[in-house]
Amino acid sequence: MASVTITNVWKYYGKTVAVKDLNITCNDGEFVSVLGPSGCGKSSTLRMLAGLEHISAGDIHFGDTRVNDLEPKDRDIAMVFENYALYPHKTVYENMANPLRLRNESEETIKKRIAFAAEMLEIEHLLQRKPMELSGGQKQRTAIGRAIVREPKLFLFDEPIAHLDAKLRARMRGELKIMQRRLGTTMIYVTHDQLEAMSMADRIAVMNNGVLQQFGTPQEIYNHPVNEWVAGFVGEPPMNFIDCDLIEEGGSFYAVHSAFKVAVPSDQAVKLRGALKSSGVRMGIRPDQLAISLGQDGAAKGSIKITEPLGGDTLVDVDLKGANHVLVKTDADFRGQMNDPCSLNFDTSRWHFFSKETGVAYF
Amino acid sequence: MASRDVVVYKTPLSRIWNIFTVVFIAFYLLWTLLPLMIMFFSSFKDLLAAFQLPPVGAFSKIGLFFDFTPTTKHYYNLFVNLGFTTYFFNSIVAAGGSAIISVVLGSMCAYALSRYDFRGKPDLFFWIISTRMAPVVAVLVPLYAIFRGADLIGTKAGLILAFTTFNLPFAIWILKGFFDNVPYAIEEASMVDGSTRFQAFRAILPLVAPGIGAFVILCILFAWNDFLFSSIIGSGGAKTLPPATVELVQPQNIQWGSIMAAGVVTTLPMMFLGLLIRRYLVTGLTMGAVRE
Ligand SMILES: Nc1ncnc2c1ncn2[C@@H]1O[C@H](COP(=O)(O)OP(=O)(O)OP(=O)(O)O)[C@@H](O)[C@H]1O
Ligand SMILES: [Mg+2]
Repeated sequence: MASVTITNVWKYYGKTVAVKDLNITCNDGEFVSVLGPSGCGKSSTLRMLAGLEHISAGDIHFGDTRVNDLEPKDRDIAMVFENYALYPHKTVYENMANPLRLRNESEETIKKRIAFAAEMLEIEHLLQRKPMELSGGQKQRTAIGRAIVREPKLFLFDEPIAHLDAKLRARMRGELKIMQRRLGTTMIYVTHDQLEAMSMADRIAVMNNGVLQQFGTPQEIYNHPVNEWVAGFVGEPPMNFIDCDLIEEGGSFYAVHSAFKVAVPSDQAVKLRGALKSSGVRMGIRPDQLAISLGQDGAAKGSIKITEPLGGDTLVDVDLKGANHVLVKTDADFRGQMNDPCSLNFDTSRWHFFSKETGVAYF
Repeated sequence: MASRDVVVYKTPLSRIWNIFTVVFIAFYLLWTLLPLMIMFFSSFKDLLAAFQLPPVGAFSKIGLFFDFTPTTKHYYNLFVNLGFTTYFFNSIVAAGGSAIISVVLGSMCAYALSRYDFRGKPDLFFWIISTRMAPVVAVLVPLYAIFRGADLIGTKAGLILAFTTFNLPFAIWILKGFFDNVPYAIEEASMVDGSTRFQAFRAILPLVAPGIGAFVILCILFAWNDFLFSSIIGSGGAKTLPPATVELVQPQNIQWGSIMAAGVVTTLPMMFLGLLIRRYLVTGLTMGAVRE
């Protein structure tokens, strides 16, 4: 087991920059998720950690050891590849035995470890099959099995459960988390699914276009996104953004839009003073931080565009006066119809303000 | 996952096509197998029986072909009096030796060319193929001079080397294509599992087995059937079957019986080889290893 320190790491493929000046510190035994959209450099980062990709600039340390010039086999890692990478001519059993064989483990140990992993992954009945005879999900579980039969310093998982069905994925999320906690092995887990990252990781590194946007606990990322991009990427359904003006009236701040004028709590106002001079701000609020009512007594008035009952709750798309439309999450027994007038109330303690120019959060 | 079963849809056209296929294959088999059969039977006939032919068009007398008392005297003559044991052995050593050397060096070289990027790689690759572009006769004279200087004329080592100069570029060329089709991820997984680069290379060898199998056959076939190199570079101490067979054609006495027997001796091992290695030629081993 080891901590992982990524210091000022860059990755170029020819002229394309895949990773820009990345800094991440991951504690011993921590579960860190690297989250970002497709092509943001997640796999590149992981492959540099594994030693499969040359590090263009910067340093990577495992514990106190600089690993830049170590071969993959000397880094003591286990990796699950995005595309399984099973040995097609070997059975599931032999696939999982391979890392142990290469380390000269006894046949008895191999058997025991594989039995343990296979039971956890529910692939015991598949051990004698070849990869070609497996479904996508079974292949993925075999690939995970190959990684967890060893006790390496570091787990590197590249979207390991992205291709399972929703139910199995939900279960694997839990099991992988339990497994990691039990083994206590440092884990770096790449995903583009924010739900996976939120539910499993101790800390999340959110990346976009090769740049680290924010590195923090799931709560920090969710409740205090550092910029508009992170705010919009994390959370499902996504955060609403409404452009509005910030004015000062009688010592209080108000967020003003053609559909509403809402007072800003005073503790927030202090941090927003700098925004007064700018030409407006972008307010962000999550769908569950809005309260909808069919009356006209709410802070913002509008009309219902469409309602989407989801069983447990209902999503309502609301047209605000002034051409903004806003998504609201409300109870399942909400009875609004299309085009009904309605009004919204903001949970002002949990909304966000971002700079219109830079997207950076004010608090 | 895709299974290996082929889906067949029956249409009137496919029926006609099927009949046509069967007829074509029947003719093709006749065309291919008849000479081989004549060679095989003649090698067991004495000279008189071998030249007993039914009149043209008399199909009812076709039994005449099979009406003989088998004799192994041509084979006996071949191996005991004419020294074909040595020639046979020479052929095996030369063909096998050059195939092994070519496949070992060729697969490593092909792997390197497939996996590493370096300056001048396309030029290097073209240069390797270009060595196969000149016809054998064109290089034979300089090669002979070089080999004589190195005292390699008439030795098995010399013959192996000569075949290898021709087989190696071919090996690299064929095997590179096969390595290119093996996803990087498999050897990367192997390296993460704890193997060295060389072990990872060995780990993916089973995936290029079809290529290696195909190449070994082609390589052995080339060396086994070769006449030019064997008669010039192998002449004397390392004579192989083809030049030895030609020597049976003497101006005053063409030894048909022995020639037929030599033909059988030359052909049979290659047929067995083909049968043996057939399953390696079936591709599709990488299917399902990597997410498509
Ligand atoms: N071998 C390569 N050669 C050139 N460019 C590459 C190579 N590998 C990746 N890239 C580029 O680097 C960038 C980052 O790629 P990377 O594979 O790290 O993305 P990712 O975040 O893992 O995406 P995904 O979620 O789709 O797997 C992309 O723009 C990609 O096109
Ligand atoms: Mg990726």
